[in-house]
Amino acid sequence: MKLTDRIQDNIVVLEPKGKIMGGPDASLLHDKLYELIESDRKKIVIDLAKVEWMNSTGLGILISSYTTLRNNNGELKLANVTDKIQSLLTITKLVSVFDAHDSVEEAVKSFE
Amino acid sequence: MQLELLHTLIFFLTGGFLVFMAITITRDNSTSQANRAFGAMLFFAGLGPLAMALGYVIDPNGSLAPEFLGSPLYALHHIWKFFFPSLLIFSWLFPIDRLSHFHHPRIRYLVFIPQIFHLGMALLYQRLMGLLNLLIESSSDDSFTGMILAPFAWIFQQLMLLVAYVRINDQVIFGLINICYLLTAVYFLETGRRYLTNPRLQSQTRMVTWGMRVGLGLYTLAYASSTFWRSSYADAAGTYLLIGAIIGGGGFLVNAIIRHRFLNVQLFFRQSMINTLISSILVGLYILAAMRSQSILEPIFGAQAEVVSYLFILLILLLFQPISTWIDNVIRSMFMRTRTDYRNIVERFSRQVISVFDPQQLHNSIEEIMKTSLLVDQVYFVIFDDSLGEYAILKSNDQNRRIVIDRQDMMLRGINLLDTPTRYTALSSYQEDSRLAEFLTDKRIRMVLPLKDSENLLGFLALSARSAGYRYTAEDFNLLGVLSNQMVTALTNARLYVDSLERLRLEEEVNMARQIQLDLLPSRPPICPVSIISASSTPSRTVGGDFYDFIPLKDKNRLGIVIADASGKGMPAALMVAQIQAILRSEVNNGNSIKQVLENMNQQVATSTSSEKYVTLFYAELDQTNCILHYANAGHNYPLLIRANGEVELLETGGPIIGAFPNIKYASDSVQLRSNDILFFFTDGLSEAMDTDDVEYGEVRIRRFLVDHRGEEPQAIIDKILADVRRHDPTTPPQDDTTIVTIKMSNGTPQNE
Repeated sequence: MKLTDRIQDNIVVLEPKGKIMGGPDASLLHDKLYELIESDRKKIVIDLAKVEWMNSTGLGILISSYTTLRNNNGELKLANVTDKIQSLLTITKLVSVFDAHDSVEEAVKSFE
Repeated sequence: MQLELLHTLIFFLTGGFLVFMAITITRDNSTSQANRAFGAMLFFAGLGPLAMALGYVIDPNGSLAPEFLGSPLYALHHIWKFFFPSLLIFSWLFPIDRLSHFHHPRIRYLVFIPQIFHLGMALLYQRLMGLLNLLIESSSDDSFTGMILAPFAWIFQQLMLLVAYVRINDQVIFGLINICYLLTAVYFLETGRRYLTNPRLQSQTRMVTWGMRVGLGLYTLAYASSTFWRSSYADAAGTYLLIGAIIGGGGFLVNAIIRHRFLNVQLFFRQSMINTLISSILVGLYILAAMRSQSILEPIFGAQAEVVSYLFILLILLLFQPISTWIDNVIRSMFMRTRTDYRNIVERFSRQVISVFDPQQLHNSIEEIMKTSLLVDQVYFVIFDDSLGEYAILKSNDQNRRIVIDRQDMMLRGINLLDTPTRYTALSSYQEDSRLAEFLTDKRIRMVLPLKDSENLLGFLALSARSAGYRYTAEDFNLLGVLSNQMVTALTNARLYVDSLERLRLEEEVNMARQIQLDLLPSRPPICPVSIISASSTPSRTVGGDFYDFIPLKDKNRLGIVIADASGKGMPAALMVAQIQAILRSEVNNGNSIKQVLENMNQQVATSTSSEKYVTLFYAELDQTNCILHYANAGHNYPLLIRANGEVELLETGGPIIGAFPNIKYASDSVQLRSNDILFFFTDGLSEAMDTDDVEYGEVRIRRFLVDHRGEEPQAIIDKILADVRRHDPTTPPQDDTTIVTIKMSNGTPQNE
């Protein structure tokens, strides 16, 4: 997984690319999150458009990112959830937990 | 005539060889005081035989004119006796430096006074006598000058009387002084040896001391014979004894140098010593043979003797080269290939060290080799300790007393920049605020050997000064460079060995965990009056994160069925599974409802593990009286219900995965089962098995397969679908844990609608 980030309308948009799996991916995303929380940027959108695949550990990373932000009074939203990830969220019944949007713009707007 | 020639030859060769050795040893390490003193000693010792050889050359018959015997040129031969004070000074410098404590070390040259006096006396006696006569003559008249000079003349005359007495008895007096010098030197060498702990240094000193003893004994005999037993035989005996003393003493020294690397003389020089020795002996023999041949052949061959003699010389010339090579090889194999030869050190080191895997033992052998072969006084190891994650100083025989070094230590950083053995003084710019530098300075470290593999500093060796004032030479630097490379290999090997032991131990633990996990799975599916049950679980590693279980309930008509999949793989997932299984059984045994069981379980797991650790789980209870399945799905792949007519239903109702978030509410549902219905529970290892193009096996294929095979028995369905999945994804072992539970309702009960 590769991770880039940008700021859109004062909201941080993280763009993971490739497969989200265990190991280094977890610390990569966590380190980024803690760095953002440190700099008081706690409204974050994860753009999943370029994520090909996610295994159970990858889902765990998303969950813990969500929990971490929430525990720090922040908020995590998902954008561009692909069909595969959508079905994963459906099966695990996490659709209700994650606030998922069809585009980054919508996700960013939803913070207002 | 021939005997004199032999004497000349022996004196010349011995003297020449001693002078050659003196120059070699001094040149080899001219900064070392011990080398300089020893060189001077050999140089003067060599002058004696050379002077004697010269004497024979000047006067082969030994009947020197009295004028020559009194001349200053002849007197110069006394200079060889400077050997004795030089030896004395050497014995103060080696093996322990006793002079460094003196405030004025130059005071040692006072020991030359008797010999200088002797030489001066021999050189100037005739002149001084002339001067005395002149003085007496000019003071004997009644003039004013004569009156003034008279007392001086008297004092001078008395002094000269004393000198004359000494001169007559010079052999006795100075011989005695020389013997005293020899005795003192042997005493110092002998007592110095007692302080030595290094075995190689001890053998060096022992050899030198023995040389001195032999020389002392023979010299004393020579002295006694020529002093107290005045005859021409005694003189001859004295001469031979002196020759014996020089050759015997010199032999021990040569042996010490060549065999024990005494004074650290380089290999090149030691070889040239051997060569010189061999060639001089052979040349001597050759000259003798060539000269003798004429006189031996003449009576036999008469007039043709000359021709035969040339043939004889030709033969000797032809044999010279092979004989010298042969002797050279014999001597080399006997003396050079010893423990002190650098080639041998490297060979021995690699043999000893490479095969050692125990780090402690490795440290000990490195230390032993450094001490015996290189005469290093103290060796300190600073090694990166994997278990501590720090660099630690340890003396090899004292593992427990480690001192840990801060990784930011300036000196450590400095050493990290090195690639080759380096003098400690070159690191002086890194000494500030460094605890390591304090330690190294305190231990008088002279040399630092970095131990580096391709990128990391594994540690370094700190060497103190060498024993007996030996210094680190350019040759030593090369050797230490080679040795440190071998040490890196050995350390890496040792580390890998420890790692492999550790891995073996872990593997064994994992195997035990696997056994525990297998024991936790039901050994066989329960026998159920209304249905046939089969199950299978294959972990992708030794242990896995899937599990299924059948739990008998208090209500005997109900059977609990669970399938679950923990996030992740391997040991962490297996531990999670064990926890879930335990919680589930205890919750179920408490008689809680399905909904309650999941809510309690989620609460326990969510609060005890981090949120990225979770389990997807499907729990159901089959009521065998009415064939109703009560269930709840906690984020698990939807189990399939294949009706007898081929319709497929999904068992979705429940709530999110277990363990991710606390305070979750779960819902439960129930479904009426009928005869020949098939329940198919599985984990994502089955549905997500991928072929080489990353295409998943997928739920669609599973559904179609089950519909097609719905007439078969549960075990056959499991075997066939697993085989079909393997065809799709032949990876072995499977990429993910794969678990299936299949239940087929029996004919008849309850009746189809």
